[in-house]
Amino acid sequence: MKTTYINRIILSLLTVVLISCADNLNLEPEQSLTPDAATGSEKNIQNILTGAYDLAGQGELYGGQIYLASELLANDGEIFWGGTFSQPGEFNRKRITTTNSFVADLWIEGYETINQANIVLDNLNVVTEDSDKNRMEGEAKFIRGMMYFELVRFFAQPYETTQANNGLGVPIVLNSVTDASQIEFPSRSTISEVYSQAINDLTDAYNLLPESNEEFADKYTAEALLARIYLQQGNYPAARDAANDVIENSGHVITTTYEGAFNNEFNSTEDILAWQVTAQDGINDMNTYWSTREFGGRSLTADVSIELPYFDYFTVPDDRMDFFYEGNGTDVTTKWQAQFANVLFIRVAEMHLIRAESNFREGTGVGMSAEDEINAIRTRANADPIPGITLQDILDERKRELAFEGFAIHDIKRLHLNVGNLPYNDESLVLPIPQRDIDTNDNLEQNPGYN
Amino acid sequence: MTYLSYAQEKTINGTITDQDGLPLPGVNIQINGTHTGTQTDFDGKYSINATVGSVLIYTYIGQKTEERTVGNSSTIDITMQEDAQALDEVVIVGYGTSTKREVTDNIASVSSEDINLIPTPSVQSTLSGKAAGVQVTQVNGKAESGIKIRVRGVATISSSQEPLYVIDGVPMINSDENINDSPINPLVSLNPNDIESIEILKDASSAAIYGARGTNGVVLITTKRGKAGKTKVSINSSYGWSKPTNKRDFLNTREYVDLFTEATINSGGTEDDAAYYFNLFAENEADWRNNEVDTDWQDLALVDGSVEDFGVNVSGGSEKTQFFLSTGYNKTDAIIRGNKLERYSLRSNIDHTISNKFKVGISTGISKTKIDRLSNDNSFSTPLQAIAQLPFSKPYEDNGVVPNGSTLYYNFLFQEYNADHQVNIWRVLANLYGEYQITQSLKFRSEFGYDFNNQVEERFFGSLTESASTNGYADANAVENEKYVLNNYFSFDKTFSNIDFNAVAGMSYEDDRRRLQSVEGQEFPSDDLQTVDSAAEITGGGSSRTAYNFLSYFGRAGATIAGKYILKASLRYDGSSRFGKDERYGLFPAVSAGWIISEENFLKNNETLSLLKIRGSWGITGNAGIGNFASRSLFGGASYNERAALSPTQLGDPSLKWENTSQYDLGIDFGFFNNRISLEADYYNKNTSDLLLDQPVPSSSGFTSITQNVGELKNEGFEFVLNTKNFIKEDFFWSTSFNISTNKNEITELPGGDIISGRNIAREGETVASFYMVEFAGADPDNGDALFVRNTLNPDGTIDRSTTNEFNEASRVVSGSPFPDLIAGLSNTIRFKDFDMSFTFQGQWGASIYNDGGRFQSASADYFDNQTSDQLDRWQQPGDITDVPQARLFGANGTQQSTRYLQEADFIRLRNVTLGYTIPSEVTKKFQVERLRLYFTAFNLLTFTDYTGWDPESTADFNSNNDLAVGVDFYSAPPAQTLTLGINIDF
Repeated sequence: MKTTYINRIILSLLTVVLISCADNLNLEPEQSLTPDAATGSEKNIQNILTGAYDLAGQGELYGGQIYLASELLANDGEIFWGGTFSQPGEFNRKRITTTNSFVADLWIEGYETINQANIVLDNLNVVTEDSDKNRMEGEAKFIRGMMYFELVRFFAQPYETTQANNGLGVPIVLNSVTDASQIEFPSRSTISEVYSQAINDLTDAYNLLPESNEEFADKYTAEALLARIYLQQGNYPAARDAANDVIENSGHVITTTYEGAFNNEFNSTEDILAWQVTAQDGINDMNTYWSTREFGGRSLTADVSIELPYFDYFTVPDDRMDFFYEGNGTDVTTKWQAQFANVLFIRVAEMHLIRAESNFREGTGVGMSAEDEINAIRTRANADPIPGITLQDILDERKRELAFEGFAIHDIKRLHLNVGNLPYNDESLVLPIPQRDIDTNDNLEQNPGYN
Repeated sequence: MTYLSYAQEKTINGTITDQDGLPLPGVNIQINGTHTGTQTDFDGKYSINATVGSVLIYTYIGQKTEERTVGNSSTIDITMQEDAQALDEVVIVGYGTSTKREVTDNIASVSSEDINLIPTPSVQSTLSGKAAGVQVTQVNGKAESGIKIRVRGVATISSSQEPLYVIDGVPMINSDENINDSPINPLVSLNPNDIESIEILKDASSAAIYGARGTNGVVLITTKRGKAGKTKVSINSSYGWSKPTNKRDFLNTREYVDLFTEATINSGGTEDDAAYYFNLFAENEADWRNNEVDTDWQDLALVDGSVEDFGVNVSGGSEKTQFFLSTGYNKTDAIIRGNKLERYSLRSNIDHTISNKFKVGISTGISKTKIDRLSNDNSFSTPLQAIAQLPFSKPYEDNGVVPNGSTLYYNFLFQEYNADHQVNIWRVLANLYGEYQITQSLKFRSEFGYDFNNQVEERFFGSLTESASTNGYADANAVENEKYVLNNYFSFDKTFSNIDFNAVAGMSYEDDRRRLQSVEGQEFPSDDLQTVDSAAEITGGGSSRTAYNFLSYFGRAGATIAGKYILKASLRYDGSSRFGKDERYGLFPAVSAGWIISEENFLKNNETLSLLKIRGSWGITGNAGIGNFASRSLFGGASYNERAALSPTQLGDPSLKWENTSQYDLGIDFGFFNNRISLEADYYNKNTSDLLLDQPVPSSSGFTSITQNVGELKNEGFEFVLNTKNFIKEDFFWSTSFNISTNKNEITELPGGDIISGRNIAREGETVASFYMVEFAGADPDNGDALFVRNTLNPDGTIDRSTTNEFNEASRVVSGSPFPDLIAGLSNTIRFKDFDMSFTFQGQWGASIYNDGGRFQSASADYFDNQTSDQLDRWQQPGDITDVPQARLFGANGTQQSTRYLQEADFIRLRNVTLGYTIPSEVTKKFQVERLRLYFTAFNLLTFTDYTGWDPESTADFNSNNDLAVGVDFYSAPPAQTLTLGINIDF
């Protein structure tokens, strides 16, 4: 009898255990949301939009590597790469391998950012308020247009003002992917199609965005980026008018000192858009490569230091010529000295330089004469005005004002200059499509010059 | 007439000894045909009341059973003979035990004797070279370093390759909880001295009872338990001296200055330019010009270490209650500067018989492990990266205390001076069981297991370290991982005429939860205040929770017919929260059969062939080693400018299901001369389909990969185990065990095409994770340029084997495998009078290793990093034939990823040699000591290899959890070579 009693206990124990355990197989993740939940509310769409800025500002993109790549690709002795990482070293030597991880990151994170913007655009129907909806659409399009412009500048041959630009651009993806069935295998659109996509997105953004939008993109951020694109295309009237609109209406003005434009934890009056960095989030990877270990950089002497030929652009006096510090035997730019400063993206000084150059080329004086505009920039840096300004003076002023901010290779391509012996349109100045994408997408064609 | 007769009962006394004359405690003595019996005490003495004429049966595991008829004498002393039929030894299997003789599976066993020979804190290390088909690799020389066990090759591409660890019947937590990409062996908290045996279930028929987690093999760990008899106290104490197994040659100051001056000139510079560079990193010009400083940075990084191990255990008990109590202390100072480990452990295993039907028991192990940790191999602050520093840079300031802050790279000595990185691990392993004998042949057992792994890792980097720009940095990270397991099963054992039948049926539920909290801060008022509390700025933190569980039902039935035909079948039904709703359950069957031919009449009395058995098995196992929510598309939290944000984190496939491996095994066992020589040979074939693969997708989708069931791969190979007892004389015993195994791994189907991770590739028709890179072709004799083989396709379909100095013109090719195709181990045990000796060799052949650090260490003076001495063989003038291209500072002359840095990783290692001397018991008994043994062990004494790096087995720790980035060395420290002196005392 005792035995049957125990047997019964065993049996009932088993039954209880078996039934209660089966229910436990349904577990939900506690740190993650399903796509339905994530795209199901207005608040979450805003969160995804904010996430797009986070992605764009990461180290592989505007957090630093986009600028580093441009400066090193253009380098012909004005800067010195002394870092140990082989990927930037390849940029500097203009001998880039198709497995270069900085190249792959730029592409991968670029498209990740585009997808994030696409997710916002595909789910705007849950946003009820029209003004919010317009703003979100505008910001998402701003981010998408910006990324396409950046990708086509790096991964395709230069835009030629007087040609059809039918060469290979980058794939255009306009639909969001949140589940595996939505994956596309796109081929490369033409250069002209990608530029059009970027301009359309930014024009829409301009029309949708409000006049001001805290640290995020507003109407004039889109307009400023359009000015940059038009300049790259050699469309000077459009560049001039866009830059003029920003200068006249955005409310952004240059800081009183040159120094004041840099190393800011909060945006200065000059910042049209800057990538936000705090000690808690965001990263200033320009600091990583362009400052000394003492200030948070990778090496004692700074991975990137400035060489003597650069200083030839200057005549004494000029605050910008002194905006350097000594890094254990090297000259290091002060522009990226603060580890947790925001990373510059568009500052109004660039708009002045675009307007001045465009006015000069077109023989116009929209807003201000080119000479006055350039001299205003010079005066801010306590440099003497240049009387009887030439185009070369304007272009040199760009080098003095905007050096080490990521403009170098794009200016070389637009102005048809050389990098050493390499002509502006040399194959080795175009980044290869990352090998991993050539391997995963049969429709992608590699750039010439890469195996 | 009635005839009264009674059996004449008398008391028999005696002493039982083994063939060496040592008393045997715990020998069972039973009166034949009755349930009356006794056991010998610790001195081998016994006493039993028996009637004259009755037969006493003496049994003891490992000894031949003896029978004596009670006669006139009241003393029966017996010297038992060792039973060469070791094949009858008990083998632990999933949810039960079996005997070697009746097993139709392929199971490797390692005993406590083998385990105790290896002076390392990691229990898995002791398995190296001991089991055929099992490759055991320590990631690198760090004391807590992760350990990889690969059973019969790698059967997956993207999911876990680790076996399932089961301790005393309960699956263990085996997740590496490091915070800095330098793995911590999750089993480092186990005291190897508490382990009785380890069995590795290799084939499907043994592992399929563990279903979804059986594919990578199952490691069953059994801890020691008490035996009835006199209480036994054992003390083990040892101390060892360690040094690195290998050091490499780097340039000294003179050589460095010569080579780099040459390299500067070759790149268009002048001697003055070179001098300018040298002065940047030397305090005084004389330091490099006159050789005044010549620092050997390797000697600062790799130092002398030590291993201290102390343990006491007490075991014994009565007929009703047996116990095993143990405590242990291990202190390992690794051979890498600043790396230390200390472990305190306790174990108590108790078994109690309530009635002749009801048994209960508990096993509890508690330990605390404290580790002083290092940065991962890919950081300037890890000691071995110091070899990149220039030989004329001083390690310390002139006072010899403060490290020199003006070195080329961050000076790792600041870590010791101004930083701290410590982890504390508390582990509780408890297992309670009750066993009830329902009928004579039916038994019910219930086990409740609990495993708790609590790890707190804290770091501080002071104001002089890499965190100088933020006035210091500190973080604290706490992880709690707990698992509870409930097993309930019935066992049935019955003999029907000549059929021995056994069966097991039951269920198991397992629940695993993990919580994590972390916080980090910077801006410290003082380097003496090292916890986050003192940080002026809290810069990060987080907490997370995750869980998974398994619900399983299992059954197994086996029959041995007439002692020679063996049949077995098992079935497991597994469900897990990790899989998509529609694919949540999986079924894992297995069958096996064996035929002991030597039991047939035509062989039964064969003098030579004492055993001949053939066996075969087939089964399906699974692999569930993927993320807890891998089947789903997910969004996770992010932030921008301290505002909340959301971003997609993974793309899911709702039809994700188990990875299936179908494996068959054919084996044959021979025993010759009363099994003095035994040979096991196996062929296995493992086919894995529905691979859980991180399938790369075009990144224009916004994602880079998705976990899907695609592709198939195959492992096949042979395994041979030869055990011989060369001498079994009374005062001379010598046995040899040799194992060798082959493995051929091939991806048979990969519909999505190649998967490339860095320099490794998964490609159809090739071994998983094969090396894939451009082929290096030495230096151009004309100009010293690095040359590469084009390996491009000619229009006619042939391969262009011409060379080019343009790296981008060369195609990558499959150039080797990171996995050996042959592994072997050879162990010998010798006892001569009071001396004992054992040694083990292990070896592997066919693998390659890529030294990713070579791009900096042996880079034709491309950058200022100090170079290996072989760079002196550089090309210098036209006509020079060499593999080292011309030295060019900033010239990247052959520093791209190519086979220049790929080498064969074949090696043979003298894993351990132990010499012991036991003081004769006549002497020690005077001091109440049963046994006193002194021993000397040399661990990793010799390594024979052509690999020019530190060690052919040491690989980069920071990607050791990446299944594809295998066989890559990156400033990875060699293992320790340890010479140990120790003493065993038994009371």
